[in-house]
Amino acid sequence: MEIHLAPPIVQEGQQLTELRQKVREFIRAGIADATLVPTINSWLGGWNEEFSRSLAAEGWLGMTIPVEFGGRGSTFLQRFVVTQELLAAGAPVSAHWVADRQIGPSLLKFGTDYQKQKLLPGIANGDIFFGIGMSEPDAGSDLASVRTKGVQVEGGWKISGSKVWTSGAHASNYFFALARTAPVDTDHRHAGLSQFIIDLHSPGVDVRPIVSLNGHHHFNEVFLDDVFVPDDMVLGTIGEGWNQVTSELAYERSGPERFLSTLPMLNELLLATRRGDLAPDPELGRYFARIMGLHQVSVSIADSLSRGEEVGTSASIVKVLGTTTEGDIAEFATTVPGAAEGDASLDTLRALGDEALLERAGFTLRGGTNEVLRGVIARGLGLR
Amino acid sequence: MSEFGALDQDLQQMFGDVFGDWREARGPAALEIELDRALWATLVDLGISRLTAVDGSGATWIEAAGLLRAAARTAAAVPVAENDVLSGWLREQAAIADDDLIHSACILDPSGSARAVPWASQVDNLTVLWPVGDGWKLADVPVSQFHVTPGRDLAGQPRDAVSIDLATLDGADVPSDVVREYRLRGALARSVQMAGALERIVELSVEHATSRVQFGRPIGKFQAVQNLIADAAGELVIANASTDAAVLALAAGEVGLDGLELRVAIARSVTGHAAAVIVRNVHQVHGAIGTTFEHQLHEFTKPVLAWRSEFGSLREWDTRLTELMVASELDLWAFGVPTDGR
Repeated sequence: MEIHLAPPIVQEGQQLTELRQKVREFIRAGIADATLVPTINSWLGGWNEEFSRSLAAEGWLGMTIPVEFGGRGSTFLQRFVVTQELLAAGAPVSAHWVADRQIGPSLLKFGTDYQKQKLLPGIANGDIFFGIGMSEPDAGSDLASVRTKGVQVEGGWKISGSKVWTSGAHASNYFFALARTAPVDTDHRHAGLSQFIIDLHSPGVDVRPIVSLNGHHHFNEVFLDDVFVPDDMVLGTIGEGWNQVTSELAYERSGPERFLSTLPMLNELLLATRRGDLAPDPELGRYFARIMGLHQVSVSIADSLSRGEEVGTSASIVKVLGTTTEGDIAEFATTVPGAAEGDASLDTLRALGDEALLERAGFTLRGGTNEVLRGVIARGLGLR
Repeated sequence: MSEFGALDQDLQQMFGDVFGDWREARGPAALEIELDRALWATLVDLGISRLTAVDGSGATWIEAAGLLRAAARTAAAVPVAENDVLSGWLREQAAIADDDLIHSACILDPSGSARAVPWASQVDNLTVLWPVGDGWKLADVPVSQFHVTPGRDLAGQPRDAVSIDLATLDGADVPSDVVREYRLRGALARSVQMAGALERIVELSVEHATSRVQFGRPIGKFQAVQNLIADAAGELVIANASTDAAVLALAAGEVGLDGLELRVAIARSVTGHAAAVIVRNVHQVHGAIGTTFEHQLHEFTKPVLAWRSEFGSLREWDTRLTELMVASELDLWAFGVPTDGR
């Protein structure tokens, strides 16, 4: 047998490289005037609506949304390059992250004309932010076991249940909620699920913070108590929720956010070494090389996705390796000589490192745990 | 974007068939590997023993890498890397005419000696580089003129000590960039060979896990075993990608030696660390049978572990990459993902 796990690597065209350069100049200017302060984990923790709108002004939000719906009609790969650059720099992109990454593409794929007209222009100009309502207290890795229920009423649906780990729900306008609209059929557990576009300011919606172990608040639990959703805010087809949700996942798993979350810290390690505050350590080269390898694979997957190809196995590989590496870099950065007790020259590294060390537990969980993803890879290899 | 490695499908098929046929027909594995001259003659007949010759088929490193991978996937006992992308290229730099002999190459120290020279005792000629003052000389010399002390690496591949009286050699002057590129080519060739063998190793682990039955089911049905193979497969993917990126850089010929060194360093680091995980996990999956000479697994794992230390060890490449990063003035990301065509 021969195995083919990932698409062949690709070379970036001139247009994309020019776009990359343009984003770098924008970032450099932002750092210079302190409108951009690099952080780790910036796609989850860095909520900054003003920054999101400054990206919209450059044409870098909702890039793949067609012009008729307020977007830029750019390609998937152009968006990929822009997000890569922003993440590598640790730019605060979390406000628009979910809407830009998966809500826009899902609306384009499954949404009605009314939904597209209503939501896409706001996504593209940074006025409408979204959360994800998939996980529940009793439905984590086993997403098909969601209990949130949708009951058909006149003119729409009433939704009840609770969703957890909804990043930014307290500051977002909407979320996509996955709910059961038909009783469980034990032979077809993935049937009978549907997606609803819920206005988080609707009556019956209660958003409560879940504070992370480092005191930060981005997660929420969202309680839905007979929340009315009109028929025109059902996403796609009733009963097709599972297929719709899984089509979002390839975008979610192979993206640059799965290996660049701690890159600003690796850069700070390099800067400290250049300044002579740290001795050159071969681990620095090792992790940099690993990030570059992941970058090559991620680009080739993006290229494949843009041609509508199936990338399930390789996307899972990027996420398993990438999120593990992000955490390993946090360990590296926080175990250098002087990590806690060294002088002030290491303060920036120390701040980034401490932050990363406390966030790392989440890296290998969010968006599908690495254990579930190893199962996906094993299936791709024909083992299950 | 353009797809890498538009390695012609027919060519790839031909490479696979040649070595696949050889492997099916060859005798038992040997602890000490001997150059297979019959297989070599087949490669010469097919015109692929000197694939990248400038006046040849117009093949680039993309085709050469395809050949090296195919050979490594079957543990073929022939010096394809040494003869073509190392010695062959060196001889071109000194305008030495091509011939039908089998060549290897090495760098001699100022006393005219070199250690662990690949295949030296079994090839016809050695293409040698040696320092003279601030410069370098190059010559292609019959092995019979050297004093050769046979040796083997951990995989049983010939790695011999050679020495010669430099005063007897008449060499061509070559710039030091030739020496630098030679080393990078050697390092990249080993990365490609490792990637090829690692791919075969992961395939063997899948085959074993789906056929070996314990506790009433194939062991691949156990999550613990799946996890070992999934992690090995992941390492294989980034080893392939970083190696292919370096091959592409060399084939495109636009990055210059600094750019090439960066790509090769990345490839060697990623592939070297990948080898550790893959070899460990795959042996674990195979259980005791994988530790025997009888089972073919070692024919692929041993060369990987040997190649990992040639043309620079893993730690040396990690260290070199770190030096390159520190010496640059660019941020880490801009250094690795350049926008100026480096």
